[in-house]
Amino acid sequence: MELDVAELTDIERDAFAEIANLGVSRAATSLRQMLGAQVTLSVPAVNIVTRDTAARLVERGNSAKLVAVQQAFEGPFSGRALLIFPEAQSLELVRSIVGAEQSLEDVIDLEHEALAETGNVILNACLATIANVLQKSMRMSLPTVIRGDGAMLFAAPPGGGDLVLFLYIDFTIKSRDMRGFIALLMDLPSIAALKAIVRDFIETVQK
Amino acid sequence: MSAEVSAPQHAPILDAMDVGIAILDRRMRVVVWNDWMVRFTQTAKESIVGRTLLDVFPALAASRLPQTIEESFENGTSSILTHSLNKLLPLHDDSGKPLLYNVIVRPLDGPSQQCLVQINDVTVAVARERVLRERQNARYHAIVDTAPDAIITISLNTSIQWINATASDLLGYAPTELIGQTIDVILDNKNDLTAAYFEEVNTAGHAGGALQITARRKDGSLAPFEMSAARWQADDRVFMTMIWRDVTERIIVENALRQSEAKLRLYNEELEKRVSERTREREVALAQLYESQKMETIGQLTGGVAHDFNNLLSVILGSLALIKKRSVNEPRISRLLDGARQAAERGATLTKRLLAFARRQDLKLETIELQSLIPEMVDFLRQTVGSNIEIAIDVAEDVAPITIDANQLELAVMNLAVNARDAMPKGGLLTIAARNATKDRTKLPPHLPAGDYIRLTVADTGEGMDEATRIKATEPFFTTKGVGKGTGLGLSMVHGLTAQSGGAVAIASEVGKGTVITLWLPRAAGDAVPRPLSKQPDPELPSAGGRRRILLVDDDVLVSMNTANMLADLGHEVVEAHSAIHALQLLESEDAFDTLITDYSMPGMNGLELALRTQAGYPEVHIILATGYAELPANSSSEFPRLSKPYTQEELAEALERMTD
Repeated sequence: MELDVAELTDIERDAFAEIANLGVSRAATSLRQMLGAQVTLSVPAVNIVTRDTAARLVERGNSAKLVAVQQAFEGPFSGRALLIFPEAQSLELVRSIVGAEQSLEDVIDLEHEALAETGNVILNACLATIANVLQKSMRMSLPTVIRGDGAMLFAAPPGGGDLVLFLYIDFTIKSRDMRGFIALLMDLPSIAALKAIVRDFIETVQK
Repeated sequence: MSAEVSAPQHAPILDAMDVGIAILDRRMRVVVWNDWMVRFTQTAKESIVGRTLLDVFPALAASRLPQTIEESFENGTSSILTHSLNKLLPLHDDSGKPLLYNVIVRPLDGPSQQCLVQINDVTVAVARERVLRERQNARYHAIVDTAPDAIITISLNTSIQWINATASDLLGYAPTELIGQTIDVILDNKNDLTAAYFEEVNTAGHAGGALQITARRKDGSLAPFEMSAARWQADDRVFMTMIWRDVTERIIVENALRQSEAKLRLYNEELEKRVSERTREREVALAQLYESQKMETIGQLTGGVAHDFNNLLSVILGSLALIKKRSVNEPRISRLLDGARQAAERGATLTKRLLAFARRQDLKLETIELQSLIPEMVDFLRQTVGSNIEIAIDVAEDVAPITIDANQLELAVMNLAVNARDAMPKGGLLTIAARNATKDRTKLPPHLPAGDYIRLTVADTGEGMDEATRIKATEPFFTTKGVGKGTGLGLSMVHGLTAQSGGAVAIASEVGKGTVITLWLPRAAGDAVPRPLSKQPDPELPSAGGRRRILLVDDDVLVSMNTANMLADLGHEVVEAHSAIHALQLLESEDAFDTLITDYSMPGMNGLELALRTQAGYPEVHIILATGYAELPANSSSEFPRLSKPYTQEELAEALERMTD
């Protein structure tokens, strides 16, 4: 059961990637409007991994210092959504959002709010898209910004969240390329529910 | 918040809140608009409740707010729209100052399908932060904005976060071109050293010292900088601020300094080398001086003894000659006399050599050419050295004339040839060569003044000498030949002759290879004309000539008596004086003399002075100076005929004969 839950078939993977891309392209539209600049977002890969694996994946190739925008979601499947960057890239992201002419102090001052709002836009778009496509009703909380290493970001929530729907995300904002991750941390029933909904969706589409 | 919101029920609470609250229905119509909203939007509740937000604030249509509200209804999303990224409602405080605020949109649960729009005023917080920061930064900016050094702040991943104006000037980049780029863009030699330096700064907070780096400017040119760095933290974020000091000029100065130090060191070494060379030269010169002083002393000693001995031999020879004349009829006595005379003559030869070494022989200087003199000696040399020694003569055609006593030079060459023969008992090659020697000081024996010399070398292929022998070779009586085989005066004589002629002798020798004796002889003055060499005719037998009245002056009574006897035997009238003063008295008191024969070396007034006075007072008197050695001062007039002591009766007669010519 657990193995089944933790694994995605190719078609499921494709379906998730498709939905995620719909979500981030919607986010990109919002960001373009917000920043008045070219923004492209794409999700090249999707997987389901354990929390430990997710913690390792986000640290790979980067320093252990990470920054994340986190939102809780509730509905037929529940959990936490995280948009994660290496901390070193976060200032670049913020600078690309607020403008290179801002002083370093201003960038630092604005970092928290700008990250929160940007992450909010992206996560909302993704979650909303999933809810829309799957025609389910969801509730999403306001964003919080957290910093720490992979283990800290993926710490077990009180309700127990064991698996992570893990999405790589590529950003290009004002010609600056960045890479981050979107992680949906859910417990087993939520993942199972999500997969069931996706399978239903696939069947509907294939009919 | 309860699912069902009705304005009248919650109005007091909402109006009491210090945040902006608006509640919208599914069609975005305003259901609730609290007092805070009224106050800061200056829009009365009556004029907005029931109308859509866009009706009242049409400018919002261009913002993200309507879509956000729509998504909230549609998808249950909660959103934040911050002041930093959004311009929404035109909110002002009571004094008309614009507010800074964040807007939160979230769905309200329940069947009524409503959405909460909440506005949080952050003006005070933002302003306070800004004031604090500006206060904090005022001093910092006063420094960094005017610093002569480039100041660069990077984040942990070495991406550039900030640069000062000087950095921009020095590197040629506008700040916006560099910010966000990694440090590698401007740091040329990023390597282990810089990595280790950054690591040290990251872990320790700062580095122990400055690091030499090379910066790359926008135009691609490189420049030396000295980097110091420190780590700092803002909230959780870690930065590193570096100060880059342009050290181009210092490097130029350092290089110049290094070069001049190297030069100085070179000069010092050169100086030391010269000092040690000079010291060595001085030691050599001192050794030579000591050697020449020793030779001089030996020479004086030898010369003195030889002089006295010479006088005695004169007496012996003179007396023997007179006795022989009176015993012509007694063959036995005559034979004994001959033996005695030969022994005395050999003694005279010996004293001549001693005098030659002592440089006191009376040199008959003339200008000769070695091109003629040396070849003419060959036959004689061949007889001397024997048939198993080959003789090679190599006198360059351009060898300049020299001024020297030709007979003495021949004797010197002969002595050297004999030495060479003795060094080559099994035969070999004897080479006699002559060359012009350059003026070059370095090639000359050290004690010779620079000038033009002739180098006459006599080289053999014989046994050679070791160093100890070579050094002592010119000392008188030093000989390597067996007892009775050599006098030890050959090389001494050569030494004396060359020294007296203004030259020098150098001996080079290697055991088993041979010996080269080099005579350095000054070339003749430009106007000297070489005398054509010709064998001097044997002196004529003395003839009595005219009878003369002779004043004979010699402080040595024996010599005087002997000479007087010889003169009387020749038929002359002789008056003897034993000092110059005595002689002058006789010249005055006696009848006129034809001739004055005076010894040179006398206590009180010497012979030359006497001769000069006589010449002045009695110009008709002929004068002969008898000298045992070259004791006449160099500038002395050579007009007086000389008679070399010891002399025979024949030589005496000849001198008188010449005078009358």
